[in-house]
Amino acid sequence: MAPLEHYLILSAVLFSLGVVGVVVRRNAIVVILCIELMMNGANLAFVAYGRFLDSMAGQMIVFFVMAVAAAEAAIGLAIVVLIYRNRESTDLDEINLLKL
Amino acid sequence: MASSLFFYFLAVVTTVGAIAVVAFPSPLYSVLALILTFLGLAGLYLSLHAQFVAIVQVIIYASAIMMLFLFVVMLINLGREEKRELRLPGQKLLGAIAGLAVFSMLLKVFLSTSLMTGKKGSFPPERVSELGNTQIIGNLLLTDYVLPFQAMGVLLFVGIVGAVVLARRRSR
Repeated sequence: MAPLEHYLILSAVLFSLGVVGVVVRRNAIVVILCIELMMNGANLAFVAYGRFLDSMAGQMIVFFVMAVAAAEAAIGLAIVVLIYRNRESTDLDEINLLKL
Repeated sequence: MASSLFFYFLAVVTTVGAIAVVAFPSPLYSVLALILTFLGLAGLYLSLHAQFVAIVQVIIYASAIMMLFLFVVMLINLGREEKRELRLPGQKLLGAIAGLAVFSMLLKVFLSTSLMTGKKGSFPPERVSELGNTQIIGNLLLTDYVLPFQAMGVLLFVGIVGAVVLARRRSR
């Protein structure tokens, strides 16, 4: 079995790729996807620590994170559809109604 | 040795999928690449003996949530992201710097052993395989974690109502 550090490094890689995507991409849907990617990086760290510390708490937390992610995806996508209906675009640079 | 090889194979699959999510210009391909990443993660959870989480990852994450994303991408018929100047000059460089900074911070925390000190929990692998992973989770959900479980129900309910209210056509 691979050591704990390798799981944690993979989790850090996933999380940082999510951060890069949130900063670099302009499409609202892809930004939400990258947030999901970050959540999954965190989930992997939770499960790995739980396994190596003989605890079930990691898996329980992952279960709750998944519920939060589902709710977040539903609301986020509803907002994206709403924005698209108003502005004909999901480009985050175009969403500037609140700007003076 | 075999399980170690399994890990490295899945690690490569997951990382390639994650890079593809960020790099593909078309949102549709990004969604498909993320499904690949999630399936790889489900395999990793299996290698960590978290069977319930692995199955939920496949059924809920890789199927249900990603189906929602695919549906929205196709509904609003998104094409490729246009080749246009990013609003901030050097936004790509900024992204790389932010990613590297977060990565090095996480590594510093993860590779220090302070998170591994303290006493071990009460579920060693032998006990888990004897009682059954899913049975333990079900038991814990309705005993130790009953309050978060109820709160999760409320959260999902609010999520459903919110999505319907937001996305419905305004009747005039």
